Amino acid sequence: MERRRFLKVLGATGGAAAAASACDIRPEPTQHLIPYLVPPENQVPGIATYYATTCRECAAGCGLHAKVREGRVIKLEGNPESPINQGRLCSRGQAALQGLYNPDRVTDPMARGPNGQWQKLSWEDAIGRVQAKLREARGKGIAFVTGLESGSFGELIDGWMKEIGGRHVTCEPFAFEALREGNRLAFGTAAIPSYDFANARYVVSFGADFMETWLSPVAYQNGFSRAHGFDAGRAASMAKFVYVGPRLALTGMSADEWIAAAPGTEGMLALAMAHVIVTRRLAPVPTDVARVRAALDANAPERVAAAIGIGADVIVRLAREFAASQGGLAVAGGIAAQYANGAEIVAAVNILNYVAGQVGKTIRFGPNHALEAAGSFQQLTELVADMSAGKVALLFVHGANPAHSLPAAFSEALGHVAYRVSFASCLDETAAASDLVLPDLHPLEQWNDARPRAGVYALQQPVMQPVFPGTRHAGDVLLQVAGKTGTFKEHLQTSWRGVHQRYGRSRAFDDFWNEALQHGGVYADAPAQAVHLTLDVARAAAPEKPALGWKPSPDEPALVVFPSIALHDGRGANKQWLQELPDPVSKITWHAWVEVHPDTAAKWRVASGDIVLLKSSFGAVRAPVWITAGVRPDVIAVPTGQGHKAYGRYAKDRSFNAFELLSGAPTPYGGRAHVVSVAVATTGDHRSLATTEGDAREQGRGVIEVLSLERARALTRGTHPFEERETPRYADQALRGWAEAQREKASLGNYAGNQPRWGMAIDLAKCTGCSACVTACYAENNLATVGEELVAHRRQMSWMRIERYFTGGEAGRPVGAVVTPMLCQQCGNAPCEPVCPVYAAYHTADGLNGQVYNRCVGTRYCANNCPYKVRYFNWYNYAEPGGEWESWPDPLNMLLNPDVTVREKGVMEKCTFCVQRIRGAQNRARLEDRTVQDGEITPACAQACPSEAIVFGDLHDKASRVAALAQDPRGYHVLEGLNTQPGITYLARVVDAVVAEA
Amino acid sequence: MAETPSPSSRVSYDFVTRAIARTLGNPGKGYFALLAAAVALLGVGIVCLLFLLRYGLGLAGYSHPVYWAVYITCFVFWVGIAHSGTLISAILFLFRSGWRTAVYRTAEAMTVFAVMTAGLFPLIHIGRQWYFYWLIPYPNERGLWPNFKSPLIWDEFAIGTYFTVSTVFLIMGLIPDIAAVRDVATGWRKKLYAITALGWRGTNEQWRHYSRGYLYLAALATPLVLSVHSVVSWDFAMAIVPGWHATLFAPYFVAGAIYSGVAMVITLLVPIRKLFHLEDLITPAHFENLAKLCLLTGLIVSYSYCTENFTAWFSGNPHERAAFWYRAFGPFWWASWTMNICNGLLPWLLWSKKVRTSILGLFVISIFVNVGMWFERYVIIVVSLAGEPFERFANATYNPTWADWGIMAGSFGWFFMWFLLFVKNFPAVSISEVKEVLPAPKRAKAMR
Repeated sequence: MERRRFLKVLGATGGAAAAASACDIRPEPTQHLIPYLVPPENQVPGIATYYATTCRECAAGCGLHAKVREGRVIKLEGNPESPINQGRLCSRGQAALQGLYNPDRVTDPMARGPNGQWQKLSWEDAIGRVQAKLREARGKGIAFVTGLESGSFGELIDGWMKEIGGRHVTCEPFAFEALREGNRLAFGTAAIPSYDFANARYVVSFGADFMETWLSPVAYQNGFSRAHGFDAGRAASMAKFVYVGPRLALTGMSADEWIAAAPGTEGMLALAMAHVIVTRRLAPVPTDVARVRAALDANAPERVAAAIGIGADVIVRLAREFAASQGGLAVAGGIAAQYANGAEIVAAVNILNYVAGQVGKTIRFGPNHALEAAGSFQQLTELVADMSAGKVALLFVHGANPAHSLPAAFSEALGHVAYRVSFASCLDETAAASDLVLPDLHPLEQWNDARPRAGVYALQQPVMQPVFPGTRHAGDVLLQVAGKTGTFKEHLQTSWRGVHQRYGRSRAFDDFWNEALQHGGVYADAPAQAVHLTLDVARAAAPEKPALGWKPSPDEPALVVFPSIALHDGRGANKQWLQELPDPVSKITWHAWVEVHPDTAAKWRVASGDIVLLKSSFGAVRAPVWITAGVRPDVIAVPTGQGHKAYGRYAKDRSFNAFELLSGAPTPYGGRAHVVSVAVATTGDHRSLATTEGDAREQGRGVIEVLSLERARALTRGTHPFEERETPRYADQALRGWAEAQREKASLGNYAGNQPRWGMAIDLAKCTGCSACVTACYAENNLATVGEELVAHRRQMSWMRIERYFTGGEAGRPVGAVVTPMLCQQCGNAPCEPVCPVYAAYHTADGLNGQVYNRCVGTRYCANNCPYKVRYFNWYNYAEPGGEWESWPDPLNMLLNPDVTVREKGVMEKCTFCVQRIRGAQNRARLEDRTVQDGEITPACAQACPSEAIVFGDLHDKASRVAALAQDPRGYHVLEGLNTQPGITYLARVVDAVVAEA
Repeated sequence: MAETPSPSSRVSYDFVTRAIARTLGNPGKGYFALLAAAVALLGVGIVCLLFLLRYGLGLAGYSHPVYWAVYITCFVFWVGIAHSGTLISAILFLFRSGWRTAVYRTAEAMTVFAVMTAGLFPLIHIGRQWYFYWLIPYPNERGLWPNFKSPLIWDEFAIGTYFTVSTVFLIMGLIPDIAAVRDVATGWRKKLYAITALGWRGTNEQWRHYSRGYLYLAALATPLVLSVHSVVSWDFAMAIVPGWHATLFAPYFVAGAIYSGVAMVITLLVPIRKLFHLEDLITPAHFENLAKLCLLTGLIVSYSYCTENFTAWFSGNPHERAAFWYRAFGPFWWASWTMNICNGLLPWLLWSKKVRTSILGLFVISIFVNVGMWFERYVIIVVSLAGEPFERFANATYNPTWADWGIMAGSFGWFFMWFLLFVKNFPAVSISEVKEVLPAPKRAKAMR
């Protein structure tokens, strides 16, 4: 069709007409417009309905508010009532929508036909087949693999498996076995406690990426920003944060100090700090400390400093600071918990917390995390062994993709299983190797619940009709297969009667249920449990077990496999929002990379983008190099998540699967070692990295300002150290007069009256660079994803850009990183506006830099003249159905926000402070005959921000939060010297001690 | 320009008419080959443009900070080319520089076609080409007017005015000549010239009105020479991009435009003179004068380069300094140094009279100047944007694609097609004005 159309243009006789048809000037004729004759109840076209539910993208169990317009969910927001995420939501959570509307979803039950082709089945047929296979398999081994199911669905499977003699195994590639084992070693309980970041006064992370994938990242980041954020008026503000780990992860970028300890020595450091605290009596010494005394002595700072790679004085200083803060919180995880001695490292960190008297304060057992119930890698390897031995005749897989994340042995073993049933929504690697696929509903379409931590009962309800009517709730299917009556919803309600008994006995169950649905669940506190050191803690804490089998060096580096922030274990790989989200650290999109230190790269003679062959004893992958100072010279690091062989159009055959490099043998603690020795060989191939980073250094351009804690504390109200004036002060009066005259003369719009001036304050002391705001913006504003090739040409459309600049590194200065969100500054004196020849860029009465998409002809002059470079151009038609650059293939187009125009090719677009939300709130206020209140309008970025770093409001309203923040002495405007008078005030980042004043 | 070069001594009134009318004779194979090449290039451009219209500007090499690139480079390049025409025909006319008579027609035709070429680029480069008319102020039911504060609108007026005036000026100058060739032409040409000569009979009355009118038109066109490229330069100077935002830009651009325009005149005249055997009418002395003009404007341009860099350094402004550092030593160093060498160094050769009077030497230098001036615009536009001195994180490189080169090639095809059609159908050298500078006719005896 397109080609024919094009040939027609080439041979055009009636030139103009043909050219017109080729440029798609005219809209496609509307085929059917059917009005609501009988509108559904409770649904007003144009008014959104919000349903509370629970996010199931990871085990954290954040509360959601699903925004539904005309029967379709179009946006996910955090549920402010949820004690987990406090109304905040990460990128993965936001992108759940793209799983719901994924164009690669399985629409109907399918079975492998005799020729290996997939054939659609009816549900009756499919269920009949499962029942038949079930009868056959009885006694021959039945296994059910799921992701972490902490609620009723997991109980259903547990019960059923018990009934029929099968087993239920959970498959979480990041199941925190070392954390559980380390806790058991130290305290005798394998529970995962609650970490009180918000009230910590000093945080040391031993590899724990608690803002990324560690347990409950949104909750921890939120708490952390409360503790680590700077507030001059708060005595406890600015808890120092020390990050220990071989690579500067996103979490580490927020650190005041990065200690790149030699891999595997994190435990030594913790014990050495504990040694200092105990021997110098920096904290009240617990009575049972004698149990670890020997282990501590063996790890005295001067003994281990060399092995760790830092000075003994640094260890003593850290220990002193930790103890003196009286609110220290040391957490272990991430890479530190993925060495062979991960459990010992966790135990050592536990001891540090214990001797500092923090167990029971910042670390509380009792409100334990749901992941304590997760299975282990050990169990999975046992299952694989049984499968290979033919001891599993029937295998069910739900909510997990072991064929991608487990060693290749799983895929081989899968071949020995007589019949494999998958409940996958997309044909991932595991589903593709199955005999029968029974597509489950998406979590947003189904009833379920989750218990993310003890005391929190989160409910999940369908927020819309299923996108594909041929999909069915796995719970319903299982009940039917098991020959039970009732639906899964009824099963769920039955199990909730227990919760009702405990928390809502005073009310009828229906009232209790409805209320729980409205609030997203029942939120209660779990009683704390006291823990003490175990008797054999000393044995556990002895660092005799080596972390690695060799001493890493640039010649034989330690390869670290770390979880991808966006794609997690790979489950996010078929969502464009997550693929196109620049990794917060590397800023690379759409493919994976290997992080190499500049010295090591020089040694290997490789440049960024050169492809190297990484070969471990277990597998080999080809990875493009990304050179960064944020990794030790003897360590290289690769992210998980890519390298799918199936799963969907966006995931398939993309980059490499880092899991392939890892050993299949479980570690002593039952987990999986994520560190291996690799041989590195250059290949001579090159690929241009699809990165959004233009320069790794800020070059002193005044985009990011950093203050030392000392200086920040010394600032008094009313001072403005960053003020930079283009015009002399004596000209102020004249300028004001001129502005007044302009207002009086204005004939269009009400520029004079009491108009607000919308503004924003972004606190860089809180911003971590996690990029949740970026995905929120994609969701709210119908931003197109453009794909790897176009990102490599820097044509990404992200209105919100998280700039990440490295600091230090030269002359022995410690390496660090600073981040800032860069979006339209809504300048009061905007360079983009006067240059537009058609008034597409114009100034609204309330101070926004408006952009009329319909009026834009695309001269792109505005983008050239924007010093912040926050205008984005539609180089192609990203909305053209079936087009080469189509961003929303059916049914992804259903997630488009009807309040925001989908832009045509040839049009400039930009951040508008979510003007649709502003106008919505103004309209509501007008209907209610009142003025808009401060806090009533929240742009999508501010709403998502887990750190609460973004505050929006009216600068003219002197009582507003944003007006107060705009006067903060830490406040500055980016490129203020250009006299653009931005509406966004950034508050300088504050750094404690050594990395300061970058 | 003290001495006035004049046609060689065997040139008489009759010789002039014959020599120039001969250029309008039946074209040979060579001419058709050239014309076919031009049309083929144009075809390439049109195909690329159709792709652009269908799929979007993404086919060109743009990246995030580089929002203007080869198309705007070509626009400024062609507008620049257009400058020397009016300079030679109008300003030198007012200064009574007799030598202009032999070269001004070519220059003027070049001007008109160059403006016609330049004017296409702003239309091609916008995102929604089919709405180009929104840039034009016209009364409409939406009550929408363009933004008169935008330099792009000034541009539209400047270019539009220039195109109108230079076209009228060209046609006006042609009238007596067309009448002259009408009288010797046969066949369909005779009919064509009969109409286009507008009834010119060469009466005293007509000549009196004509020369008055010509004078006034020349006076009207003269300020345009300065204004058009000043306005074009404000497209850049009015923006805040370091590397663009300089008060120097108007004179700098005007000098550059004349420089490139004169170079282009040389590039065109050399082959025309050869192919049409006009050696007697266009002599090395004419070229020498053009070369002097080249040298003068080239020196102004070089001075501007120095001033730009000096200002960036002297201002102490980190963004300005970064922009010019990037320009000279960044990834586009080759473009900057091509520009510096072609425009800054090569014209120094013109100090030598030997070079100035060597037709081949001038031809080669003029080609280098053309290339250098194209790169000047490329450096100003692309490199200033790619350098991104404000937001380092948004910095990106830029690589033109086939869509950029294709349309640029098409623009050359378009230009040369018109030019070739013109020189074969209309007198490429002014008959009447060349006669004006000849000594009065003498008897054959006196010639000996």
